[in-house]
Amino acid sequence: MTAMIEFDEKLVETLRSITTVGIHNAVRGFSGLLGHKLEFGDPDVKVVPLTQIPMMVGGPETEAAGIYLRAEGDFNAQIMMILPLEKAFQLVDLLMEQPEGTTTFLGSLERSALGEVGNMTGTFFMNAVANTLGREIRPTPPAVMVDMVGAILDIIVATTGGVSDHVLLIQTCFKDGSRSVLTDFWVIPDAQSLQALQQAEKKA
Amino acid sequence: MKDPISVNLGEVVVSSDPADVLVAYGLGSCLGITMVDKQRHICGLLHAVLPHRMNGAHPHCAKYVDSGIEGLLEAMLKAGAERRNLIVRIAGGANMLTAAGLSKTFDVGTRNIESAHETLNRLNLPLHAEETGGHSGRTVRVYVASGRVTVRVVGGVEKDL
Repeated sequence: MTAMIEFDEKLVETLRSITTVGIHNAVRGFSGLLGHKLEFGDPDVKVVPLTQIPMMVGGPETEAAGIYLRAEGDFNAQIMMILPLEKAFQLVDLLMEQPEGTTTFLGSLERSALGEVGNMTGTFFMNAVANTLGREIRPTPPAVMVDMVGAILDIIVATTGGVSDHVLLIQTCFKDGSRSVLTDFWVIPDAQSLQALQQAEKKA
Repeated sequence: MKDPISVNLGEVVVSSDPADVLVAYGLGSCLGITMVDKQRHICGLLHAVLPHRMNGAHPHCAKYVDSGIEGLLEAMLKAGAERRNLIVRIAGGANMLTAAGLSKTFDVGTRNIESAHETLNRLNLPLHAEETGGHSGRTVRVYVASGRVTVRVVGGVEKDL
């Protein structure tokens, strides 16, 4: 069942151009929800050893909020947004039009607001990617988790770990005004979708 | 005081140094398996990711619950532990995804717990205690000096397992 991907420069470039369009659109959706513009960096496409994944956002025991959904259809991928806890609180206050500092706990209402962020951002991302590829992609409902970073990222480890010891990760972060990171934004394409992309390239 | 030894994904660590504390941070669906020989002061911790060993993986590969437990047992015995002294505990195996349509597909946590029970049964090793399942991540610590094993969830305090 091992799906080997030849990770060449061409694939990296293709992924970078596809996801950049998607991320532009995702940030537009997210900014619209917030009512002010977010900044973001160019996406980094890289292959990361599975064992490194839990260390990548502030250490495995750090408490954070994770918003997770899948892209399904002609291009399958996982999308994960990881927010430092205090940023998640601020975001909920903004979305619920409350003074900053009101939210100190993420209950079901607050989680549902964060889920909406996932919905919006994910859908905007997928629409742009679907347009670029000329294919159909649908988002699953989002899952919102508040837990240790390591435990949240175990989802990615568990879903990709059976296939490979490495994960192909497209990583960027959305920044709020100054330089502070509002959320990490990860896209992890399924191995089969990467293979399909590569084959399409060869034919072209 | 020494820094705790972080036992990362797919790793197993066995120690007889009383100054050591072994830690598996932020276990979600992953499973932490501990073995303690109190008489000989030898402790081990495994951080396994998936339930069953894949074809081609090493028979003691610590990435998988089944082969990892065999590897941990072997490493404990090699370090001088006695099989009949071994106190085995497991923690982790949460299902992190509770959203409709997502959770069933990936319930690796539950399968990890099942695999641990099967493997321990097969090896005739009694399970002393477990804190598994649910929807929360856990950090597992093993204090080599006392043989104490603790579990902590987010926002909680360390509790003995």
